[in-house]
Amino acid sequence: MSHQVWLHQLPHIVAANAPAANHSVDWFHQLPQNIVIGLEQGSLYALVALGYTLVYGVLQLINFAHSEVFMAGAFGSYLVVDAIVGNRHLTGAAVPLTVLAGIVSGAAVGAAVAWILEKVAYKALRRNGAPKLAFLISAIGASLFLSNLAGKLFTRVQNNAFPTYFNVNHHVFSIGSADVSLIVLIIIATAVIMMVFLDRLVNKTKLGMGIRAVAEDAPTAALMGIDIDRTISRTFIVGGALAGVAGFLFGTAFGVGNIMGFTPGVKAFAAAVLGGIGNVRGAMIGGLILGQAEVLISALPFVGAEWNDVVSFAVLVLILLVRPTGILGERLWRAA
Amino acid sequence: MTTLETPPTTTPTPPPPPPAMRRAGNETSRVLLKRLAGCLIGGFVLGLMVNSKEGSPDDFGFVFHQTALKPRMLIFLAIGVVIFAGITFWGYLRQHARRPGVRPLGMGILVIVVSQVVLNWYDPQTVKFNGLRKLVDKSSGLSSTTTWFFDWLSWTLVALSVVVTGAAIVTRRRVFGWVTTVLGIAGAVLAWTAHSDVLDLGGGIDHSLGAYGDVIGFLILAGAGATVALSQAEVADSRGFMTRVMEYRPGLPFAVLGAVLAAFSYARNCWFAPVNRNLDFAKTHDAYQGTDINSLASNYLGWLGWVCFVVVAVLTLAATYLRQRLLGWLAAGAALVATVLTFFSLKSMTDVAAKSVPQFGKSWNNLGAGGFTACISYGLFAAAAAYVIARPKTRAAGKSATLPVSRALEKARNSANMKALIVIALAVALFYPPMLSQYWQNVLVTQMAVYLLLAVGLNVVVGWAGLLDLGYIAFYAVGAYTTAYLTGSLPRKPPSWLHMTPLLTIPFAIVACLIAGVLLGAPTLRLRGDYLAIVTLGFGEIIQIVAQNNPGNFTNGPRGVEPPVPHPKLEIGGWKITWGLDNLPYWYLLLVMLAIVVVLFYRLENSRLGRAWAAIREDEVAAQASGVNTVRAKLLAFAIGASTSALAGTFFASQTGFFDPTQFDIFTSILIVAYVVFGGMGSLPGAMAGAAVLTWLPEFLKSQVPTDDRQMWVGALVLAMMIFRPAGLLPAKRRKAELSHLDEASPGEVSAIPRGGAM
Amino acid sequence: MIPQPLADTHDVVFDVEHITLRFGGVVSLNDVSMQMRRGEILAVIGPNGAGKTSLFNVLTGVYTPQEGRVLLRGRPGDSPVSVIGKKTHVINRLGVARTFQNIRLFPALTAIENVKVAVETRQKAGPLAAMLGMPWQRKEERDSTAAAYALMRDVGLGERGNELASSLAYGEQRRLEIARALGTNPGVLLLDEPAAGTNPQEKRELAELISRINRERNISVLLIEHDMKLVMSVADRIIVLNFGGKIAEGTPEEIQRNPAVVAAYLGTSAEDAARQATDQPELHLIDTQLEPPPTDEERSGD
Repeated sequence: MSHQVWLHQLPHIVAANAPAANHSVDWFHQLPQNIVIGLEQGSLYALVALGYTLVYGVLQLINFAHSEVFMAGAFGSYLVVDAIVGNRHLTGAAVPLTVLAGIVSGAAVGAAVAWILEKVAYKALRRNGAPKLAFLISAIGASLFLSNLAGKLFTRVQNNAFPTYFNVNHHVFSIGSADVSLIVLIIIATAVIMMVFLDRLVNKTKLGMGIRAVAEDAPTAALMGIDIDRTISRTFIVGGALAGVAGFLFGTAFGVGNIMGFTPGVKAFAAAVLGGIGNVRGAMIGGLILGQAEVLISALPFVGAEWNDVVSFAVLVLILLVRPTGILGERLWRAA
Repeated sequence: MTTLETPPTTTPTPPPPPPAMRRAGNETSRVLLKRLAGCLIGGFVLGLMVNSKEGSPDDFGFVFHQTALKPRMLIFLAIGVVIFAGITFWGYLRQHARRPGVRPLGMGILVIVVSQVVLNWYDPQTVKFNGLRKLVDKSSGLSSTTTWFFDWLSWTLVALSVVVTGAAIVTRRRVFGWVTTVLGIAGAVLAWTAHSDVLDLGGGIDHSLGAYGDVIGFLILAGAGATVALSQAEVADSRGFMTRVMEYRPGLPFAVLGAVLAAFSYARNCWFAPVNRNLDFAKTHDAYQGTDINSLASNYLGWLGWVCFVVVAVLTLAATYLRQRLLGWLAAGAALVATVLTFFSLKSMTDVAAKSVPQFGKSWNNLGAGGFTACISYGLFAAAAAYVIARPKTRAAGKSATLPVSRALEKARNSANMKALIVIALAVALFYPPMLSQYWQNVLVTQMAVYLLLAVGLNVVVGWAGLLDLGYIAFYAVGAYTTAYLTGSLPRKPPSWLHMTPLLTIPFAIVACLIAGVLLGAPTLRLRGDYLAIVTLGFGEIIQIVAQNNPGNFTNGPRGVEPPVPHPKLEIGGWKITWGLDNLPYWYLLLVMLAIVVVLFYRLENSRLGRAWAAIREDEVAAQASGVNTVRAKLLAFAIGASTSALAGTFFASQTGFFDPTQFDIFTSILIVAYVVFGGMGSLPGAMAGAAVLTWLPEFLKSQVPTDDRQMWVGALVLAMMIFRPAGLLPAKRRKAELSHLDEASPGEVSAIPRGGAM
Repeated sequence: MIPQPLADTHDVVFDVEHITLRFGGVVSLNDVSMQMRRGEILAVIGPNGAGKTSLFNVLTGVYTPQEGRVLLRGRPGDSPVSVIGKKTHVINRLGVARTFQNIRLFPALTAIENVKVAVETRQKAGPLAAMLGMPWQRKEERDSTAAAYALMRDVGLGERGNELASSLAYGEQRRLEIARALGTNPGVLLLDEPAAGTNPQEKRELAELISRINRERNISVLLIEHDMKLVMSVADRIIVLNFGGKIAEGTPEEIQRNPAVVAAYLGTSAEDAARQATDQPELHLIDTQLEPPPTDEERSGD
């Protein structure tokens, strides 16, 4: 099974990148535009990366099926938006309300799938005290299962466009030479709101305190009366909701498909590691840095868009060599 | 199945719940509701999985409407309810379920259901039981019992056996047990005669296993009935029973099995199978009358074959019964001689037939399964003999000074088991593939073979050293491209003095992979586990993209290699072997490679490096404090793992001839990790078993479910496996120990994964 | 009190000068200096969080202190080398072996394999020799097995070689850890709370074992222990840490009377403790006697 080639193949990015590959002068000329694109990608990475990092925080496990949660959110919101839009032509307040419905349904489906995923693929193993790799493999099994079930239920064709209820490429405003389209604006705005929301959730609420306590020291947290099972379950729900929203935004911009989760999932995981896995703010920063690095470096004249993925991993490796626990470091550092 | 239940003898009966727990009635009903919901959802998902519809991009709701909203979904919901009832009333069922005979009953029914639902029953039409039923209905000239058997008799027998055995278990009437025995034997006889009847009428070649599986299933049913009737025990002790059977005369069960199989192959199985004709041993003898086969083969067909069988069987049975080491050696030698005689007779037969009647198929393609089955049965005899050699009567009591007697006995038993299993595995690996159809031979070589090697190599890294390497496929790619370069199949040609045949490239490929392994490992191996995972994942991705992007016109990009990599050939003195388009010879090439690798790795596992790896995996800080140079050991694990994939890469490149970068994608890389963990991390047989099962399964499912759904079923199986048996199919001894001691982790030890259950 | 300068510096195993170790804002070790002499049993005591284990981790290269220097002469006759910045396994090969506060065996290996891992770190045969089963590799394998068995017998585990490490009793695991540490042929042995969680009988055996290792193998022992009876019965000298700083150093008798130590343990001020000590000179605030071995009657009782 081969994964699809992602962002750089898609029209509005290719349009932005293509001239940049010609002359070095163009790189500077295109810089503002590329920063906007990098911000857009980075926001999506960050939203998905938060799910990885939250789960890693409480379980010290890579949730490999997280990319399928992302995919499920995209399909779920697609179905809802499709039901709302149908063959009608939406106008006025109906458009932002539909976007909101897409965000909410994406979050709901993502949360639900993540919750079930935790119940099926993780809880039983936790009870059995399975070795760490067994979790990874069960997550891979779940990932394989979910993406193919979605393929069977919906379609195995990739890049199915959302129903057109607004012009995603509608030009909103420009900053210098950078054009900001409507979808870019929506993605960045939603991501920022979600991240602020999450940051407050983790740092200010009781649930957030529980998550941090379990991440720090699960046995002690249990002694303090924190229900570990419930905290883990809710961590999955929060991460799943974020991934579901990201799925909706991604789907609106680039279309949905049953293996759409794989590449963004891997990148987001890299972003989480880059920021310091287990560290919530690290995931946000990691996502943004990775998004920028990918766009800016592959836009360099001697690199080219086909080296996109190589760039992101090279950046990751370089940063890890300098800072072995990521940019912000792990909050849950366990010393010898 | 067995993993869910602890052995009955050691399970203490759980104390009755204290009154305080019963008071929480609403708590219980919540649990029940949750469970019911879970079971219903499970049934629903199963209903979505089991159907032939596929989604379409035009209407995402299509499959959902076609499956979820149709009455057939009720069946799956009912299955969910049955499972719910089973779990809920397990406490009540349990006391009956643990009676003797229940497990064999379940096993027998499972085998019958698999035979009658999954397996093929008649090769010429490639039909299963149900399909054959339709064919039988349309045909004339079959006896009415045959028609009945396929129409209703077989399933009725199964249902009757269940009811009667259930009655026997509940009422404790022994006579019911005997009734089941009679039913089972009747079923076996009927299945056999019905299938023979069909074959007599159809007269085609038949490699299908359905009927044999059915017969075995019915015989197990009969055994279950006998167990119910005969056993005095309240609680079944299956394991104890098996131990008693195996320990009565070590090796004897294998000898009996071998005798049955050999008798079957000489008396019944097809030895020569030209198109549309099935000739058993005697008829083959007649068919070869007057042809120019050599005297060995003609004598073999005439009398020597039977003599081989009788001599080996008598010697082995005597040796195992008397537990005489000398007899054991004699039996093993006789089995070896018999195998060699059988093999050379077969060679003469097939060569003559290929020359004189080429329309019947090329060499080795015109034979039936009989000869190979006979060879496998000699392998079973040899395994039985190996038991006697390893554990003769005199050594039954341990004489090792350092070990207690029970441990010495256990050690002797384990080593005997291992020797016997190696002999059997070798016999099956050598003589089973020729019996397979062309299609499966192709699967064996193109799918399984490479992944067997890769899994064995990755097991070093993941299983032994505990390093999560998600980009292992990259080394495989390096190996394959190195071979392609040195054989001149890439745009950049090697200097003429470096241009060589594929097998000669192996050392170069290994060196290339070693270098790649060290290049990746040196900077990254000081990273902790999960960071290493992502970095290796990235490395795998990078290698594929590099190959795709074709820097310096080296890899030829997505067009793949051209001209094709030549097939391997070997010349030692005047002795020359060439591999071509046939699949089977590649299997034997791989077998040699695999055997060498496995032997070397087995030694490595029990060397100081193997122990150092285990130490690092268990506790890296303690390993360092004990003086282990962890970075060096990890680097060695990386390098040794990488060199194995070089071997796989060379094999793959020269076998397929053509490949392109898409074959080295990250997803495959992750799948190889899944193979290793599925089979049992850190265990060589486990890694091989995992790779074999998980590469076989999709091919097998091809005929069972829509092709596109295969990955879904594989995913579901992997998930289920990890839930119910997280240590894998054949867990390593060391890993098993880790798992069983997780419950009693020493104080202060923080387990990697917080376990459920708040205060 | 000021320790007397040592007459012959060649007899110093660890020469620690002014080390300071910080984690973020937390000072774990503050300007600690100490010298450990060849052949002595030196105990480090102090309340929880005093920095004892941090000191061990600095000495074995797990942590790198921000300031100060540590010189090591691992085995007799070695020239001094700096420990700072060296990897743990390198320091181990220079003759420093340790055990852990919370037992860190390799649970899935057998007891004998645990010891063999340590013994084999000094061997030469590489993976190729192992794969090909070269005669010298086989000889090394036999040698390491023999050496490991000898060590196991020495710590009283001769019969338990083929048990999994995790299936041993708690006290046995402690002794196995010591055997593993001895497997690397150390000149100095660092024991981190070896008596934690053991019963009085095991404590007596442990004290005997530590003295025996020290005496017979001429291995210097650095001991962290909370059990004062054990410390007082085996240690030649004692260093007391509190809040990351060294507050006292001396013989067991001196330490028992040291007001600062008593204050640290009782939480009173040093002046109060000093007054108490002078008022009641016969009062030993720290119980120093190991329990006598049980009489035959007691033994038959249980």
